[in-house]
Amino acid sequence: MSYATTFTRGIWKENPIFRLLLGLCPALAVTTSVENGLGMGLASTFVLLCSNVIVSLLRDFIPRKVRIPAYIVVIASFVTIVDLTMHAYFFELHRSLGLFIPLIVVNCIILGRAEAFASRNPVGLAFIDGLGMGLGFTLGLAVLGGVREILGSGSLLGFPVFGASFPPALVMILPPGAFLGLGLLLAGMNKLEERRAIRAGEAYEPPREMDCGSCVLCNLAENLNEVEAKPLDRV
Amino acid sequence: MKETMNLALRLALICAVAAAALAQVDGFTREPIRLAEAQAQREAVEAVLPSFARLAGDTLRVGQPDEAIYFTGRDSSAVVGTAFTAVSGLGYSGEIEVMIGLDAEGVVNGIRILRHAETPGLGANYAAPEVLDAFYKGKGASSRWQVAKDGGEVDAITGATVTGRAICDAIEQGFTRWEADQQELLPPVPIIPKASSDPVNSGGTP
Repeated sequence: MSYATTFTRGIWKENPIFRLLLGLCPALAVTTSVENGLGMGLASTFVLLCSNVIVSLLRDFIPRKVRIPAYIVVIASFVTIVDLTMHAYFFELHRSLGLFIPLIVVNCIILGRAEAFASRNPVGLAFIDGLGMGLGFTLGLAVLGGVREILGSGSLLGFPVFGASFPPALVMILPPGAFLGLGLLLAGMNKLEERRAIRAGEAYEPPREMDCGSCVLCNLAENLNEVEAKPLDRV
Repeated sequence: MKETMNLALRLALICAVAAAALAQVDGFTREPIRLAEAQAQREAVEAVLPSFARLAGDTLRVGQPDEAIYFTGRDSSAVVGTAFTAVSGLGYSGEIEVMIGLDAEGVVNGIRILRHAETPGLGANYAAPEVLDAFYKGKGASSRWQVAKDGGEVDAITGATVTGRAICDAIEQGFTRWEADQQELLPPVPIIPKASSDPVNSGGTP
C-alpha cells in the first residue's frame, strides 16, 4: 500500500468519525465550538501518531498474548504527556477540555489503529497512517464543532457571524445538538458519496450500518413474535 | 513457565521505560503548571479587589476540609480589600466556585466565577463580568442573598434561576465563614504608618 493512499484514506474514505464511526464519545462531547474540536483533535492526533510509531517499532518485541496491555501502557503514557504539557502551556484550553483529555486513552481509534495497522506495518507507513487518521479525526471534530457553534451560538471561532437579529438555536450546543449535527453531517456525506458513485457509473450501496432496513430495532420488533427465528442478521 | 516469565518481563520492561519517560515530563512541567495555576488565581483576585500595592495570601485551617484562603490587598499598610473563594453544590450541573472580593468596608467589589459546568448560553451567561458586576456589586454581608423570585434582593437571568440561586448560596456561605474568621484575619492595622520604620511599606506610597 502506498504512502499516499494510506494518508488520504484516513481523511475521507475511512474517516474515523464520518465513515468508521469510531471515537464518537469525544466527538459528541467536546464539539461545542471549533476551538474545542480542534484542540481535542490535535491532542488525539499527537497521541495516535506517537502510539502508532512506538507500537510499530516494538511490533516484534511485544508478545501477542500481552499486546493489549502493552498498547494501553504506551497510549496512556502519551496521553499523560499531552495532559501535563497542555496544563503547563495551554492553560485555558486545558481548562475547557479538562476531563476529556485523560479519556483519549480509551478512544477506540487509537487502540484500533495500533491493533489493526501499526502492529503489522513498518514504521514509515504506521506514521503516515497515524497522521492521516488523526487529521481525519481532527477534521471531523472541527466540522462538527463548526456546525454546532454557528447554529448554537451564532459565532465561528468566537466571532459573531450573524447579526443580533439571529437568535441562536441553543439546542445545538447542548448534548442533543451533537447527535443532530452528526446525523445531518452523516446524511450529507452519504449523499455526496452517492452522487459521486452515480456520476462514475458505479452501483451505490449505502454503508450497511446506516440504512433503515438494517436497523436492529426494526428487526427486533418483527422477530418478537417468532422468538426461535434465526439470529438477527443484517439485510 | 518460561513463556510466562518472558511475557511478564517484557511487559515490565515496557512499563519501566514508560514510567521513566513520564517522570521526566513531570519534572519539566511541574513548575510551569504551578506558575500557570498561581497566575490564574492572581488574575481572579486582581479582578475582584480594588487596586492594591501588595497582596498576601493567608490560609486558615490548613489541611482541614474547611480550609480557606483569604487574599488581603494592602496599599501602603492599610487594607484595601479581602478576597476569598466559596463553593456551592446547588448549581444546575455540578459545583460552582466563585471568587468574592470585598472592599475595606466589607461591601462586594467584584465577583468572578472560577469553576462551573452550567448550561452554555443559559446558566453560563452568569460568568460574564458585566453580569456579575450588575447583579452582585455593592451589596454587603447584611444584604439578603436570595434571588428576587425567592424574596431576596438579587437579580437573576430569566430562565436560569437555579444558577442564580447557587451563586447566592455560595456568596452567603463565603460571607458566613468570612465573618467567623475575621478576628483571626485582620490584625489591628496601625492608623498612621511610619513610613521610615515600617518594614511592609517599601514602595514609598504616602
